[in-house]
Amino acid sequence: MAEQSLTRNIMKKGVVGVIIGIILVVAARATGFPEVFQIMFFIYAMLGAFVFILLDAPSMNRLEGGKAIVGLLLFYVIISGAYIGGASSLPQYDPEIEKGKIEKILKARRARTQKGKAEELIARAKALNERAKAIEQQLKALGGGAQVVVEAEAPASTAAAGDLVALGKEQWELQECYNCHKLFGQGGKKRGPELDNIGNLMTPEQLREKILDPKSWKAEGFDKQYKKGKMPDKYKDLMFDEEIDALVAFLATLKDTSVNTPKPIKMK
Amino acid sequence: MTLRRSLLIMTGFVLVGAGAAYAQIPEAPPAEFPYAGNRTGVWIVAQLHILFAAFILGAPIFAVVSEWLGYKNQDPKYDRLAKEVTKVTVILYSMTALTGGLFIFVLLATYPDFTTWLIKHFFLIFALVYPLLFILETIILYTYFYSWDTMKGGKKARHIALGVLLNIVGTVTLFAIDGPTSFMNTPAKAAEGLSLVEFIQSAGLWDKVANYSWMPLNLHRLVGNVTFGGFIAGLIAAYMYMGAKSDEERSYYDWMGFVGNMIGVGALLLLPFMGYLLAYELCDYDASICPYMMADQLSMFFEMQGAMVGLIFLASNYYIWLSMKRIEGVEQVRISGLVMVAVILIPAVMGIAWKMFPPPEWQSLIFLALLVILPPILSKLPGLRFTVSAFTMIKVGFLMIVVADAIWMTPHGFVATQALATEHNELPSWASELALMPAKNAAAFTLVFLTIVNYILYNRAIRQGTIIWGKIDFASQFVLIFLAFSAIWTMGLMGTVRSLTRKYFHVYNLVPDFTPEAYTPTLAYSAWWITGVTLVFFLVVSFAIVVTLRVGSGQKVEAPQGAAVPAGAK
Repeated sequence: MAEQSLTRNIMKKGVVGVIIGIILVVAARATGFPEVFQIMFFIYAMLGAFVFILLDAPSMNRLEGGKAIVGLLLFYVIISGAYIGGASSLPQYDPEIEKGKIEKILKARRARTQKGKAEELIARAKALNERAKAIEQQLKALGGGAQVVVEAEAPASTAAAGDLVALGKEQWELQECYNCHKLFGQGGKKRGPELDNIGNLMTPEQLREKILDPKSWKAEGFDKQYKKGKMPDKYKDLMFDEEIDALVAFLATLKDTSVNTPKPIKMK
Repeated sequence: MTLRRSLLIMTGFVLVGAGAAYAQIPEAPPAEFPYAGNRTGVWIVAQLHILFAAFILGAPIFAVVSEWLGYKNQDPKYDRLAKEVTKVTVILYSMTALTGGLFIFVLLATYPDFTTWLIKHFFLIFALVYPLLFILETIILYTYFYSWDTMKGGKKARHIALGVLLNIVGTVTLFAIDGPTSFMNTPAKAAEGLSLVEFIQSAGLWDKVANYSWMPLNLHRLVGNVTFGGFIAGLIAAYMYMGAKSDEERSYYDWMGFVGNMIGVGALLLLPFMGYLLAYELCDYDASICPYMMADQLSMFFEMQGAMVGLIFLASNYYIWLSMKRIEGVEQVRISGLVMVAVILIPAVMGIAWKMFPPPEWQSLIFLALLVILPPILSKLPGLRFTVSAFTMIKVGFLMIVVADAIWMTPHGFVATQALATEHNELPSWASELALMPAKNAAAFTLVFLTIVNYILYNRAIRQGTIIWGKIDFASQFVLIFLAFSAIWTMGLMGTVRSLTRKYFHVYNLVPDFTPEAYTPTLAYSAWWITGVTLVFFLVVSFAIVVTLRVGSGQKVEAPQGAAVPAGAK
């Protein structure tokens, strides 16, 4: 089979690749693809050109001895760099977003473990020790018989204690209910029904029953998902009572009649 | 000083004293894996262990099949291939054991509470079943290798039977250890209304082992091990080809590379479907795993996986191309033009068919059958008997591989998480089908189908032409190395994904991970470590290959020096 010179091969196929790439970009732009996809299509065109350059490339001369080893090492460096570079160039999820959520979910659980309780006791002991030392310092400074002013401790903050609905919305985010249920126009809707009007269709007790036992209620038109047990039966293990109460309180406020939330059907 | 304040100070002293008394029992200092941190450290050691284990489980499958082919065809090349691969396996066996021991030490030191919990729940497996299987495998492997030269001639069949036994024990070992592994991702699902926590306390060992993802993981790893074994055999062949001093050696290692690649690619064809089955079972266990993997934190990990799979298929087919170029008379090989038409139509037709009839609906198979069966039938009709050359078919095939790769890699949105998706980084609604499963399935099928067509063409070429072993384009050796490297890198990526699908749990939904490292790292961070582990593995395997095969001398092949080997004579 006749082999073209490498340079001519690269020029010819490269030009064809660029032309095809430009055509794809123009077509993508005309049909509403965002810029990132236009770039992606251009890269595919160049990948195609590269593949066809390789197909018609002249045979490679054999490398021997030291040249083979150097060639091998260089090859490893190139592909390692390509894979690290390729992975790094893709959009990266920011772990800080997740860390905050995980901390909120696990904090209460950690506190209820033996280790968590011991850590809390030790932390309190240390805090008391510090206060005792501070009082001792004041006594020394003022001398015997003087009045010591002990500042009252600030009451422990009860994050949003009065706003159960806000806590419930937080639970909606933390438990990632949006992955299966659409709400306020956001989230997935294939696995579970849209819940914008659920507050009009179910009482708080019924909502609680559904969360703790997903098989107790079925949404009309979601027979396949119900049969497959798509809604995880894990919340009775993963959520504390107060967290479920908060979520129920939030769901009970959802009364948007403009959204067609399917009718719930009692199954058990 | 008031009484109240005195009591307060006293209480403080008592609590501090109690704490001090409690602290008098000296605790071991907390273990911190250097530089990487505990979570990454455990992953590094686990991944290295999996890579070595995959080789020592996959290579014997390859070796026994090769030995049997040599015995059946009375061809010493196959026997030599089997023995050399087993030789490398024996050296790497010790690395598997070393990394396994290191793995358990690191786990116990960094996560002592959880590790003890897991060992207790699977005590029979960790303390009895697994060690016994490991001892049995060691005995059989060393017996298999060291009896190679003595069990010849009439005893060869017994030697092959020993190899089969080795593979059975290896497979059982894999299935046994997959029990606790899969349990961490999908612990046994409690009966309706029952708490998982309560269920696990009373669940038997079998209930915990036979969980949702156990058998899919077994199948995926079994097929993956064969793929891996084939590609590592190709890597061995590439190294030895590069260092070969004579045409005889080059002939042999050229042939070995081809065989290794063929086995690797053959198993690779099944791997996407095994992976799909595993992901399906994970999502079936808990629907919230799916969006985490495909639409949220791990979506770009799967984008990278798409790129890797596409590159591996491209490279495999490029190796076939280079193999064909050295066959004398390949220009005469032709194939029906209707096959070329079918190949061009497959992505669109199957994409639509799977959209209309998603699996497991059977109607889509009619379209599939028509595309596969009709071309060879219709090509016999007058007027439709047009043919194209093998090279034209392969080039059109490469074009379709690039198109299939492009479809496979097109995401719904170029964002790390769906929550950040906007019209500036999402597919337009009219093109959203490109990101859905029917299109992805069609793309995967196109890659698989084209690879099969190329192998059919290759077989046709070696039947009609004359293959000259030892004269393949030198670039092919880099392709073999590329395939092994990419397969290993992809295994590292998928190992990362499997660990991360547990999210902030040691055992998903059951045992939380309270350490600060329990979050999803970035893909870039993961890529650095995956590459590092891959390079370390390559270093060790390269050393093993050089020490066992280049330092020791191999058998002389019987093929005449540098001469063409008529394909039929083989």
